[in-house]
Amino acid sequence: DEEEEGKEVNQQWEDDWDDDDVSDDFSLQLRKELESNAENEKK
Amino acid sequence: IETARIFDFKEFPKSDRVTYMYYTGRLEVFNENFPAADLKLSYALKHCNPLSEANIRMILKYLIPVKLSIGILPKDWLLEKYNLPEYGNIVQALRRGDLRLLRHALQDYEDRFLRSGVYLVLEKLELQVYQRLMKKIYMIQKQKDPSKAHQVKLDVIVKALKWLEMDMDLDEVECIMAILIYKNLMKGYFAHKSKVVVLSKTDPFPKLNGKPVN
Repeated sequence: DEEEEGKEVNQQWEDDWDDDDVSDDFSLQLRKELESNAENEKK
Repeated sequence: IETARIFDFKEFPKSDRVTYMYYTGRLEVFNENFPAADLKLSYALKHCNPLSEANIRMILKYLIPVKLSIGILPKDWLLEKYNLPEYGNIVQALRRGDLRLLRHALQDYEDRFLRSGVYLVLEKLELQVYQRLMKKIYMIQKQKDPSKAHQVKLDVIVKALKWLEMDMDLDEVECIMAILIYKNLMKGYFAHKSKVVVLSKTDPFPKLNGKPVN
């Protein structure tokens, strides 16, 4: 019973979400923004 | 509340135990004692009538901000099933490091959050969102040039924030970075003269792992 409840808790919450992924839309836009700024700096 | 302790908690009917844990859990939220709030509200959630969606929703309205503040996210289906759309964008903001989205999410449901009393708890998530944004900047730099990735220029952070519609000068950004380091959300130091944050090479962004921000 206890184990089943534990499983249910795992299905409700996510504690390992802080990944290294930077391929999502937000990160891609951020990269674009930072890179365009870097180019401006060189000029 | 105090007198209840001389009885054996288990002797009370289940519904009373759940009610007790719900209300004392809410008190812990207002005391900003998040680990205790987590224990109590999780107990209420685990033992309440699984068919009573209204009760589950009431518990989640408090348990979700508590979980968020110790670095744990609710799964999307949980928000959908119990009709808690107000948390959708807040979760998204934490995942992305999107300070603009967090700000809008707090504004959109300001009344609701103020009424339930969790607004201040949610406002403090901002530091975690800053941490996530710094990590994204670091990861992007790492892909470009791994040898220099641990040096983040304050200029770069200012530009990222400007893109997120936050106008901050170097001093303000430096102040935020100091808070992140002080709160152990970021490991590293400043090179004040060269205006660079030098991140630790090992675990520069420690996870909360169920503990509150200090």
